[in-house]
Amino acid sequence: MVKSIWFIVAVTMSVHAQDADVQRDCLSCHQTQQIPNSLIYKRYLMKYSTKTAIENAMIKYLKNPKKSESIMPSAFFLKFPMRKGLIMPETMLHQNIRSFIETFDVKKKLKIKVN
Amino acid sequence: MLASEKRSLIRFLVIYLASTLLLFSLASWIFYSSTKHHLLDKQRDRIVYEAEGIKSKLRGLHQSNDVTLYYPNHSEIDSAIYDLDKKYIFGTFEPPVDLDTMLKKDRLYYLSKVEPYYLGAAYLLTARNIDYVPIYALQKQILFFLLLAGLVFSTLGYFLGRLFVSPMRDAIARMNLFIQDTTHELNTPISTILTNIEMIETFGKHEENMDELKRIEIASMTLSRIYDDLTYLNLNHQYYRKIEKLNIGVLLKERLVYFTSMLEVKKIDTVLNIQDDITLNIDKNDALRLVDNLLSNAIKYNKRYGKLNVILDDTMLCIGDTGIGMSKNDLSEVKQRFKRANKSEGGFGIGLHIVSQVCENYDFDLQIESTINEGTEVKIVW
Repeated sequence: MVKSIWFIVAVTMSVHAQDADVQRDCLSCHQTQQIPNSLIYKRYLMKYSTKTAIENAMIKYLKNPKKSESIMPSAFFLKFPMRKGLIMPETMLHQNIRSFIETFDVKKKLKIKVN
Repeated sequence: MLASEKRSLIRFLVIYLASTLLLFSLASWIFYSSTKHHLLDKQRDRIVYEAEGIKSKLRGLHQSNDVTLYYPNHSEIDSAIYDLDKKYIFGTFEPPVDLDTMLKKDRLYYLSKVEPYYLGAAYLLTARNIDYVPIYALQKQILFFLLLAGLVFSTLGYFLGRLFVSPMRDAIARMNLFIQDTTHELNTPISTILTNIEMIETFGKHEENMDELKRIEIASMTLSRIYDDLTYLNLNHQYYRKIEKLNIGVLLKERLVYFTSMLEVKKIDTVLNIQDDITLNIDKNDALRLVDNLLSNAIKYNKRYGKLNVILDDTMLCIGDTGIGMSKNDLSEVKQRFKRANKSEGGFGIGLHIVSQVCENYDFDLQIESTINEGTEVKIVW
């Protein structure tokens, strides 16, 4: 019983820790610059459909940002400057992107209206 | 209606109605399949139309910034969205449907692609229950049509059949009339000849012309039996039968005496194994026709110096000869009226027909076994 409680606490803390990392490493900067995170995620979703494909596309872009490979239209970069490639440990990068995807996952928002 | 006429009419009706039913069933089946597909297509069109509506709503949801996104819900149609890997995202199916195992009975499905992937959906699956009401109505209509057609064509077939067999009926009626007239005309001269032969044998001096008289007697007896057979055939179903306990053994022996002249002429050896106390509930005329025809055939188609075997016990009467025999083809038709397996001897081909009719009337089992050039054995089991 004690072991189970410790396990649940550990998992919860780990999830929160991941959310905190995304907040610190990605979203805080986006929020400061007023970059619409939800819109970016929806554009990825509309182009790649699956979470795996979105994750791979994001990693590719973050490691080597190019206008031609960005999900955003070129006009977007008139307001928001293109940043340099992200230097972050691979594991952390993957964790952050998965956390980002989970944060904005539309599946959580979908519901059936009860008439 | 005569038995043969009835049989022909029934055969005609069976063939006519079976072929008509087959044709109508085939046409009905083609019509049913085609109309059923058309009805299902109409229902499928409805889910295709609804699928386009859902796609349009997915676009609206994708663009919405609301915290809760209400998935389009329809009372008659279920739907679900799947990502590019065909992984379930969301839907109204309970439980969620796997795309690989979605095909279920009684439901119509429509899978369409979504482009671009609004809400990440690459595929949209829509489904609805099949509405069987119009299909059942169609089945009822076809069944009613088949019944009506069956009734109309049965009536038509009956009248057509009667029309077709009417020449045969007329021919049989004419033949019966001819037989009736002929037998009536034959009766008096045959009786006169037989009576006079008897008188000559009793009172006259006949030693010098014994052979000639025997031949005349045999010929007259043959004529007499033909007369009896024809009369029996003509009146078969119309005369009163007096069913009584009849000693068949005694009758058989009497008739063997009656056929003595014919047996002597052909030098046929008789082997008798007759039990005296065998009685049957039967009309005497029927029994006479049965025994006379069997004995007459066994003598007529026997070889000179042949054998006539007669066995009578409490289960059967068996009369066998060592004559010309019959082929298997002839055996199958020999019970038919006017059918003669062998035309080398005289006759009308009515003997075994009469025997089979008597057997039929009394529920006797008639068994005939024959081998060409070896002989024939007729067994009547009661």
